[in-house]
Amino acid sequence: MRRPARAALAGLALLVLAALPWFVSTYLVTFLYLALTTVALAQSYDWVGGHLGYLNLGQAAFFGIGAYAGGVLLSKALPLPVAFAAAVAAPALFAAAIAVPFFRLRGAYFALATFGLVALMELLASNLEGLTGGALGLSLPPGNRLMPAYYLTLVEVALIVGITVWVNRSRYGLALRGIQDDEEAAGAFGVSALRVKCAVLVASAAVAGLTGGIYGWYITFLTPPAVFGLDKALGPIVMAMLGGSGTVAGPFVGAAFLNVVEEVLRVKVGAYVLTAYGIILILVGLFLPNGIARHPVWRRLFGAAPAA
Amino acid sequence: MLAALPSILIGGILQGGIYALGAFGLSIIFGVQHILNVAHGDVLMLGGLLTYWLVTARGLSPFQAFFIVLPLFFLAGVLLQRVLIRPIASKSPHEFLIASILVTLGVSLAVSDITSASMTQPVSVTYPLPTLQVAGLAFSSVRLLFLAMILALTGAVHLFLQRTFLGRGIRAVIQNREGAMLVGVNIPRVSTVTFGVGTALTAAAGTLYVVLLPVDPHMGIPLTMKYLAIVVLGGVGNLVGALSGSMILGLAESLVGFTLGAEWSLTVAFFLLVAILLVRPRGLFG
Repeated sequence: MRRPARAALAGLALLVLAALPWFVSTYLVTFLYLALTTVALAQSYDWVGGHLGYLNLGQAAFFGIGAYAGGVLLSKALPLPVAFAAAVAAPALFAAAIAVPFFRLRGAYFALATFGLVALMELLASNLEGLTGGALGLSLPPGNRLMPAYYLTLVEVALIVGITVWVNRSRYGLALRGIQDDEEAAGAFGVSALRVKCAVLVASAAVAGLTGGIYGWYITFLTPPAVFGLDKALGPIVMAMLGGSGTVAGPFVGAAFLNVVEEVLRVKVGAYVLTAYGIILILVGLFLPNGIARHPVWRRLFGAAPAA
Repeated sequence: MLAALPSILIGGILQGGIYALGAFGLSIIFGVQHILNVAHGDVLMLGGLLTYWLVTARGLSPFQAFFIVLPLFFLAGVLLQRVLIRPIASKSPHEFLIASILVTLGVSLAVSDITSASMTQPVSVTYPLPTLQVAGLAFSSVRLLFLAMILALTGAVHLFLQRTFLGRGIRAVIQNREGAMLVGVNIPRVSTVTFGVGTALTAAAGTLYVVLLPVDPHMGIPLTMKYLAIVVLGGVGNLVGALSGSMILGLAESLVGFTLGAEWSLTVAFFLLVAILLVRPRGLFG
């Protein structure tokens, strides 16, 4: 597809998603909201995982820190904008603090350390009872916030996509691809690799944190496994990989596919949801490690991959 | 604190020994193929469950079960490697890393989901043996026996890696993959055998685990994280390192559990993992 066609398609999708809550059931809006949350996480994960080439398995740590930072302030009756600002700032600061030491690691070691980070955060959240309410959970002021949460996240996703496309076309995107291909060579061409990597990680953490802040505000009750759990930690990453890591369309394709599969399994089958999920992961790993969006069939259909 | 110290130390060393068996397995698997094997902890869980079934339904002793679990899981590991890992082995390192995470995570989710659907509560095997009294201290003889078994198995793995042709091949691939290829090491075969040996050792650790502590279907991934922490701590493909790493983790968990409370002992592994990676990116002994 050509560039204007793609922009028109994206605009149309945005319009449909914006109009949909007026026509469909609350159940479907809830489903869409949670799906959008995973899209935001998958896309923000992909800034580091797909575009920079560092396998960050710790995106849920930023999501959870954001959720708890916002949640703690809201439960202390602070105004919403302050809570959301904290949900952005806390994970961003955390990312800035860990970025330099963590980026000394490469490949599997980086993946490992970031994976350990999520587990550490979950345990801290359950053990620091004074702040987080521990395993019993943290209650936020109640209220039905499905609609505002849905629209906030929709706007957020639209912004994320806009930023992704813009960055991909800028010099900055070139630097990202350079770092992914060969960090030393990129450095030789004057890219300050460490500075770029830190900036991307902080931005990615801020987005994940905001998503978490909105989620906490919507769900009004936070427990450590609900925000740092395995499904939260790995779901978005798997979605990005399934759809096609390093592409704009990939996280959408992956999130749409996996969310629908999961929901259908949960409603129609009831049991063995995770088993089916696991088998899908195995098949994707074996046959499609580059993702659906990079499959050659798209090139044949549209003349260009949605990835390009 | 001082009065409880011997039992804390012994508990920590034994826990470390059980970690060590699985950690050897993961260490050589990771060293040979750079697979982030997320399903490694689930192997221990399955080994424990098979032991539970053999003991309760077939009336075997845990020691007899041990010698059934070991070869059976060697075959299972070989099969798993041939079906799921070998097909993706020819991809570029980054793609292989991603694919191996997806595949082994899929296995892990499926295994823990199926087992949790078929059991209602964590299971454990009781195997009472008389306690020993040495110098006024009580020792559980089951624990001492297990420690001896772990030591024997560690020695066997050490001899296998040092003396046999296949073991040397494994070490060669860990040290220098291209170099090993040049001198004629059959890398696919070494990779498959490594996966089998690693899986068997971990399942055998499950046999010991289920006698001491309850085994539940959701313990797989947290356990994998601990194994990864140990392997990182000890350096990849380094048996002595893995053993030291396991002991450090076991003792640290035991000490922290006693001084700060059991809920903090879990954080030790992850804290160590992150902290050591940051100070020494290639492991403490690597």
